[in-house]
Amino acid sequence: MLETLANLGLGFSVALSPPVLLYAFIGTVVGTLVGVLPGVGPLAGISLLLPATYGLDATRAIVMLAGIYYGAMYGGSTTSILMRIPGEAASVMTCIDGYAMARKGRAGAALAIAAVGSYVAGTASIVALMFLAPPLAGLALRFGPPEYFALLLLGLLVLAYMSGGSMLRALAMAALGLLFGMVGIDQMSGYFRFAYGVVELGDGIGIVPVAVGLFGLAEILATAGQPTPPAVIKPRLRELLPSRREWGESAAPIGRGTVLGFLIGVIPGSAHIISSFVSYAIERKLSKRPEEFGKGAVAGVAGPESANNSATSGAFVPMLALGVPSGPIPAVMLAAMMVHGVSPGPFLIKQQPELFWGFIASMYVGNLVLLILNLPLVGLFVNLLRVPYPILYPSILVFSVLGVYAVNGSVVDVWIMLLMGALGYVLRKLDFETAPIVLGVVLAPMIEMALRQSLAMSDGRYAIFVTRPIAATLLAVGAVLLLLSLKPLVMHTLDWRARLALAAKREEHS
Amino acid sequence: MLTTDRVGGVALALIGLFVLFESRKLPLGTLQNPGPAAMPVVLAVLLLGFGAALVALGAGAARLAAVGWSEWRHAVAIFGVCAFAALALERLGYRVTMVAALAFLVGGVERRGVVFTLVFALALALGTFFVFDTVLRVPLPRGPLRF
Amino acid sequence: MTLARTAVLLSLVLLAGASPAPAQDAYPSRPITLVAPFPPGGVADLTARPVAAALEKALRNPVGVVNKTGAAGAVGMQYVATSKPDGYTLLLALSSISIIPEADKLFGRQPAFTVDQFAPLALISADPTILVVPADKPWKTAKEFIEDAKKRPGQISFSSSGVYGTLHMAMELLSHPAGIKLRHVPYGGAGPALTAILGGHVDALASGPAVVLPHIRSGKLRPLAGWGDKRVAALPDVPTFKELGYPDAEFYIWAGVFAPKGTPEPVLAKLRQALRQAVEDPDFKGAMDKLQTPIAFKQGEEFQRFFDTDARRLAEGVRRVGKIEIKK
Repeated sequence: MLETLANLGLGFSVALSPPVLLYAFIGTVVGTLVGVLPGVGPLAGISLLLPATYGLDATRAIVMLAGIYYGAMYGGSTTSILMRIPGEAASVMTCIDGYAMARKGRAGAALAIAAVGSYVAGTASIVALMFLAPPLAGLALRFGPPEYFALLLLGLLVLAYMSGGSMLRALAMAALGLLFGMVGIDQMSGYFRFAYGVVELGDGIGIVPVAVGLFGLAEILATAGQPTPPAVIKPRLRELLPSRREWGESAAPIGRGTVLGFLIGVIPGSAHIISSFVSYAIERKLSKRPEEFGKGAVAGVAGPESANNSATSGAFVPMLALGVPSGPIPAVMLAAMMVHGVSPGPFLIKQQPELFWGFIASMYVGNLVLLILNLPLVGLFVNLLRVPYPILYPSILVFSVLGVYAVNGSVVDVWIMLLMGALGYVLRKLDFETAPIVLGVVLAPMIEMALRQSLAMSDGRYAIFVTRPIAATLLAVGAVLLLLSLKPLVMHTLDWRARLALAAKREEHS
Repeated sequence: MLTTDRVGGVALALIGLFVLFESRKLPLGTLQNPGPAAMPVVLAVLLLGFGAALVALGAGAARLAAVGWSEWRHAVAIFGVCAFAALALERLGYRVTMVAALAFLVGGVERRGVVFTLVFALALALGTFFVFDTVLRVPLPRGPLRF
Repeated sequence: MTLARTAVLLSLVLLAGASPAPAQDAYPSRPITLVAPFPPGGVADLTARPVAAALEKALRNPVGVVNKTGAAGAVGMQYVATSKPDGYTLLLALSSISIIPEADKLFGRQPAFTVDQFAPLALISADPTILVVPADKPWKTAKEFIEDAKKRPGQISFSSSGVYGTLHMAMELLSHPAGIKLRHVPYGGAGPALTAILGGHVDALASGPAVVLPHIRSGKLRPLAGWGDKRVAALPDVPTFKELGYPDAEFYIWAGVFAPKGTPEPVLAKLRQALRQAVEDPDFKGAMDKLQTPIAFKQGEEFQRFFDTDARRLAEGVRRVGKIEIKK
């Protein structure tokens, strides 16, 4: 404990030195920028800007890249809330209730809650990273394909809480999304699936064009042509801040989101995206007024936003403690270390204490910078809503095309976004919710890969899922949750969904 | 009676059938060693089932006739501009494409003044190019003559 | 609709200005693009950056790296294969350049590109893969590993960067001459494959030396043998498969620079000359040193021979693996 504090002192002496502070600042600002840009999330942002760090020394480069990472996670919520365009994949859930809040004139409150939630989650998870990294990292490595499969299956259960409408429609949309996720080279056998000669489809349909198309573009197509364009919202200063009630309703979701995001983030792989989905589902399940979700529930913003920020710190655990490239973003950061001659590995903390502790300390500083930077910006961002829609939407379109193109430099991605926009528009007209499609696209390749890897490991024996303790536990939890959600059917009691439908019927008749 | 659920259900079921048809080119594998077609087939069957269920149970959903499509002209115009942008992006370069697309949207579709349209289109297209390509080094396509 | 017309007119005016490029000046007269077909942070990108910087110095002309990624590198390689052969678009390719067209052939697909669409310019680096196993496994030597694998066919598993990926092919080039059958668990990239063996989910991995060295030093992984012609400098006690009697078990993760076929000979000569200068650049040497990747410069005949032998070995390997056996 004392040693940790002494080390942290060393870290702060590094992090607060003007050049390092400057790079942390640049990183967070650039991160916020790429996060705000629809589509360009942390991975694309880091990859695009990595070459620019080749000239820096190792500590500054890593500090700046980490700044971009969590800066992007902060910035991602802004466009989600204001324009229903997910700034990055993890902000998809924020679109739903954040945008609903904005339409009710609570954009300022939503942005402020997202910023504070992100700050709390970011800071708390660094504390966890600092004290728990070595033991947790060992545990994280025990997540092999079977455990991953069980976890993702658990992630699918989230569906039940994602939409307020009919369960059947949500399931149908999820199946459609999972099918979209099947496009591309089958990584287990090398077959091209449903690519029809388009080489760019080999890597599959990316989540970014799907999310931006289904949410952002569909929203524009549906609203731009309405005879009365959406009212210009003129926020008053007093309304920028969350009310006492909104703070109260956000506190617990922020706490839960932080813990959940950190734990999911530690697991190697790309599962951290599902942390925001899972957080949304948990908040809806625990809420006293689940019917408010989708119509501007503040918990639906606070939980997922905290979860996705906390997951970023979690993802650093195996990377820093063991030098393991535990996901796409840590892999890029490890490459950055190698460029600078720092050999990442289990000895990093011992051999490069000023890098490790400087990094930790700079994350504290960076998160604070982001909060200070973002809270005043709330006022500025909200004023974007004053721009008349006929001017606003062409600008959003430009940013969407730019963002989606920039991720891979691929026009095919822009086409996918367009087709998804058209699909989203039609589905909206037919009253289908599109969030389950995004969940499907995220989960499909991971679930399939994990299942087939597990079977390759066990030579085709399904027993592998129950003989490994972590996988078995996760599956048991999933089974219990599934049974609980079936309970109302058996017990003939009405759950909130049925009550909601009943209330709606009554209203119709009266 | 045609309801939103029924139309959606039929469309989804058709997608399911299409995927089943297309999957026959790929090996299915076994339960112990699922092939590349295994998961698409399972999902397509599920989608087919959900689609059929939507058709069967969809009588109570909103009537299709009740869905308003009043903004369709606008939506098609916007979609067309985006399609133009996608086609032109790598051929004409980012700046030319975006200026043209914005000018058409703001000037043609939304009927703003000429001066405003031009200033707005040029400022946004060149401004975003400067910030992202020049400053942030996100490579954006250039057309002939590197513009 | 005058406004729309203005807009159209405006775009026409802008288009009219876009006339074709001027007549050829002395090469190089404008910036050169070096395409890395993998995302930033990967081996191709990490090698391409210092190469571009050194080439820029040698040619006194800007050289920029562009990452054209997708489909395991096929997108970027196809892009260069079909771009104008004028010396302004070059490719930094890895071993996979010889694997992708073979795999395409195997599946009866129209290949995205073929190796003879490229003119090889120079080999930059070639790193042999080494066989590592978790330290808690019983095998102390490659001989023990192979004997055990013979006794239990299909029971010992290995992770790879993906089916037909470089790490998969390396293992195939060993298991064929050794007469063993291992269980393949493909992962989506070299990073996840390394994570898998560190977590103990698989029994073996063929990997480039740089990424596994720290884990060998920490005692988590044990090196058994290398695929190289010579031993790896950092691991002088680890024998090569050649020494152990498997002369065909040779595999390198290499990086080389290519131009599209049809590039005029004077341009190629200039580029070869510049590359020869570039690898002598101290900054370039320093950068490769930090990446712990030994420079293995080869040009002309020598590179062509290396490239052809490697391509033939890999093509045979891909054909031997065949389509992954799945009952229809």
